[in-house]
Amino acid sequence: MAPFWSKAKNSAMFSPTPPPHPRQAWLWSAPYFAIGFFAVAMLITTAILQWREHDTAHSALEGDMHWAERTIDSRLHGHQDFLAELARDQEYLRLDYEAFQVRASRYVGDNPDIAAVIWVGTDGKVEWVAPYEATATFVGEQLGGVRLSALMDTLRSRRAAFSPVYRDAGQHRAADLIIPVQRSSSDLGAFIAIHSIDSLLRVTLPTWFNTKYSLTLLDSNARELLSNTTVKPTDRTISGTMNLDLLDNRLGLQIVAYRTGGAWLPYVPAAIIVVLTLLVAGTLIQLRRHARHRAETEEQLRAAYAFRQAMSQSMVTGLRAIDLEGRITFVNAAFCRMTGFTEAELIGIGPPYPYWPPEEFEKLKHNIDVALAGQAPPGGFEMRIMRKSGERFDVRLYFSPLIDAAGRQIGWMASVNDITEPKRARVELERAHERFATVIDGLDAAVHVADAGSGEILFANRAFRTIYGFDVLGRDSALVTAVCRPPPETLARDPAGLTGADLPCELFDGEIQHALSGHWYHLHERAIRWVDGRTVRVQIAADITDKKHIDEVNLKQQKRLEQTSRLITMGEMASSLAHELNQPLSAIANYSAGCVKRLQSGNYRMDDILAAMQKAADQAERAGKIIRRMRHMVKKGDPNRQPAPLSELVEETRAFADIEAKNSGVQIVVDIPEDLPDIVVDRIMIEQVLLNLLKNGMEAMHDLPAERRKLTVSAERIDDRLLEVAVADQGHGLADDDLEKVFAPFYTTKPEGMGIGLAICRSIIEFHQGRLWAEPAAEGGTVFRFTVPIEE
Amino acid sequence: MSEGMPTIHVVDDDEAMRDSMTWLLEGEGYQVACYDSAAAFLAARSDDMQGCMVLDVRMPNMSGLELQERLDALGCSLPIIFVTGHGDVPMAVSALQRGACDFIEKPFNNEDILSRIRRALDLECQLRTRRQRDTALSHRAGQLTPREREVMRLVVAGKLNKQIADELNISMKTVEAHRARVMEKMDVRTLAELVKASMALDERQGA
Repeated sequence: MAPFWSKAKNSAMFSPTPPPHPRQAWLWSAPYFAIGFFAVAMLITTAILQWREHDTAHSALEGDMHWAERTIDSRLHGHQDFLAELARDQEYLRLDYEAFQVRASRYVGDNPDIAAVIWVGTDGKVEWVAPYEATATFVGEQLGGVRLSALMDTLRSRRAAFSPVYRDAGQHRAADLIIPVQRSSSDLGAFIAIHSIDSLLRVTLPTWFNTKYSLTLLDSNARELLSNTTVKPTDRTISGTMNLDLLDNRLGLQIVAYRTGGAWLPYVPAAIIVVLTLLVAGTLIQLRRHARHRAETEEQLRAAYAFRQAMSQSMVTGLRAIDLEGRITFVNAAFCRMTGFTEAELIGIGPPYPYWPPEEFEKLKHNIDVALAGQAPPGGFEMRIMRKSGERFDVRLYFSPLIDAAGRQIGWMASVNDITEPKRARVELERAHERFATVIDGLDAAVHVADAGSGEILFANRAFRTIYGFDVLGRDSALVTAVCRPPPETLARDPAGLTGADLPCELFDGEIQHALSGHWYHLHERAIRWVDGRTVRVQIAADITDKKHIDEVNLKQQKRLEQTSRLITMGEMASSLAHELNQPLSAIANYSAGCVKRLQSGNYRMDDILAAMQKAADQAERAGKIIRRMRHMVKKGDPNRQPAPLSELVEETRAFADIEAKNSGVQIVVDIPEDLPDIVVDRIMIEQVLLNLLKNGMEAMHDLPAERRKLTVSAERIDDRLLEVAVADQGHGLADDDLEKVFAPFYTTKPEGMGIGLAICRSIIEFHQGRLWAEPAAEGGTVFRFTVPIEE
Repeated sequence: MSEGMPTIHVVDDDEAMRDSMTWLLEGEGYQVACYDSAAAFLAARSDDMQGCMVLDVRMPNMSGLELQERLDALGCSLPIIFVTGHGDVPMAVSALQRGACDFIEKPFNNEDILSRIRRALDLECQLRTRRQRDTALSHRAGQLTPREREVMRLVVAGKLNKQIADELNISMKTVEAHRARVMEKMDVRTLAELVKASMALDERQGA
């Protein structure tokens, strides 16, 4: 099956449109003129021929007439001569009746136009009649009428003459040729040949002449005497009149030629010419009309084609036609622009097409197979193809069958739309919306938006719908959230009275308990301008039930911890003190044992013994101090806030810390101004805090060289109510994250630690309306600072 | 510090403890050397030190345990008696596992510490004697040629001279000559003595 358009045809299609033919009216008139000229020429020729024929006919007629005239003349002259001979013989008496009879009868027999030859006397009495059987006249008959007068005239003139035509007894027309006979100037009579006029023409002229012409004999008065036919020819165009010279008697013979063929015959060629001309003209008109119609149709077609062509070339949708085997038969400019391939590079190529990216090969192959099988989805294919440059882009392909003029399918037409941008935009939009929805729905907080006036809920996230039902959209917010709603009098502004200028504004921020579920919510409500311009209330309700619960538990736990901690701290202190006590006790035991041994052996010096005993006593005193300190610490019980000088607290704490400080080689520097006011605290508690901070500080510097292990305790008054105490170490410091984390319960970096030290410290400080925090020290390490109230 | 008289090395950061220990031990007739820190001891240490150490576990900078590790690494074989404070028992146990001689908890009875010191000194004395003997034996064994050492191994294993000759593919006479030289070099007179010396050598090598 040939493709819908071949390449050659295709290229022709794209050639510039030919300019329309100029209207050349003369070109169309020329045939009419030609036909007119031709017709006229033909008519003239025909007329000339007609005229010539007519002329020929006339000439023939004239010839014939002339011939007829001569024939008649000669016959009449013959008759006259015969009669004259008879007359001469009579004159000279050489003629008798018998002779007359013989000669005249013979003559009459030879000339049928003569009815009889008679001899009449001068009185007009018939004397002889030859032939005797003639019926025209009888012997003894008296001529009368014109015959007699003619006879008289002849006798008188003595010249042969014809009588006028008369009707004989048989009513035949006849005329008498009268030859007078004189002898010696007396009249003897006359010979009369009775001419039968009727026979004259018939006998005188041959048969062909009679059939060819209509002959009519006219008398001198042009009255018709006789005709050789009773049919009068209607057409007298070819006719002539000649005079029959019957001596004095003039007769005219009118000759009319019978027409050969019909009267219409001369007009046939002209008629044919006219008819043909009309026919040709008519055909021409029809042809022209058809041509004009055709030209108009062509014009329309051209316009339509040009329009289609322009459309096809200018449209942004790529068009690609393939035949049933998948070979490309057509691509438009947009498609070429899109893919970057030229038309020549694409036409005739079957799958795989050059614009298929290798990684999409399988999918595209599948698509084209589906499309060729006629099962392309009506929504088209969405696919990724490649420009010539290798750049990928997304398109949507719609397949439709390509039908030729005969109604057969010859391929598939695909329209290709570049959807990279729309797709990207759509994907972006979808993603943005998805992100928005995910974020909003992912919130634990219930978010909803309600019209400030009507209370209609315009938006609600998943958390909100989970609490209040999934059909809340469009309902009245006041009714839906009645069980958990800030009382109107607690709102910062009256939402109904808000104007555009006030937006956005805070309406409520507080905690509300859900009346039914008992859950606690932190409600934050604001009035803002909604997307459609109206004023709406946005409420964010965070469920803080768990947090509240945890806070409560924490509070309880902290109290318990504080109590436990005090015990633990005391236990630790006791252990520390016990260890410290071991030293003096061991030393005392050693001194004593040494003394005993020397005294037993008797080998001793008194001074040595005394010195040793003195040393033992010193150690005993050292042990006593330790015991006192311990007692002092343990005797305290409930928190008891009393004014106390900070320096004293620090000094007492330091006495404990010194034990460890000595062990770990840390130098504790106390830098407290003299003139600080007393602080109002529970001594033991604050001492615990200080001790804890000192111990932490010492541990933090464990890895440092001994000379850098310095712990500084300082204090300053920051305002009328508070004193700030700082414990700074020179250790490695804490990461920013850890600065706050260290205060979390059970957070620890020490293998043997319990991680409750700093948490309790913070609780203790907060119990004193103070604050405890950590920050990086300027010279490296960490500073723990806390504030405590001073005496007012 | 005279030869044959062991010294008690006391390492403790507490001045009173050092002083009282010196007083006590000198009363017993021991030589005492005191060091106020692990670092001080390490600085004064020499390989020919005799006696034992009384080492406080809890000391600033370098603890007693850390010092023990360092000494171990240095190959010092002085017996160590750890002195621990209250609550340091688990620490002392781990010290013992690492080869410490003994430990004692403060405050201690003077007899307890003295008996431990005596035991430690005895132990140190034995160790030193054995070490000296082993050193002599090794020295002698070092003089043996490889062939002689082989012969000695077979002799000690109880093989007859003929068997030894067959095994080493040498003549009986040669075996006898080697054997005589082994006896001579190892400074033994009887086969039993040779076996004992050989076992001591094996023990030392195995140790």
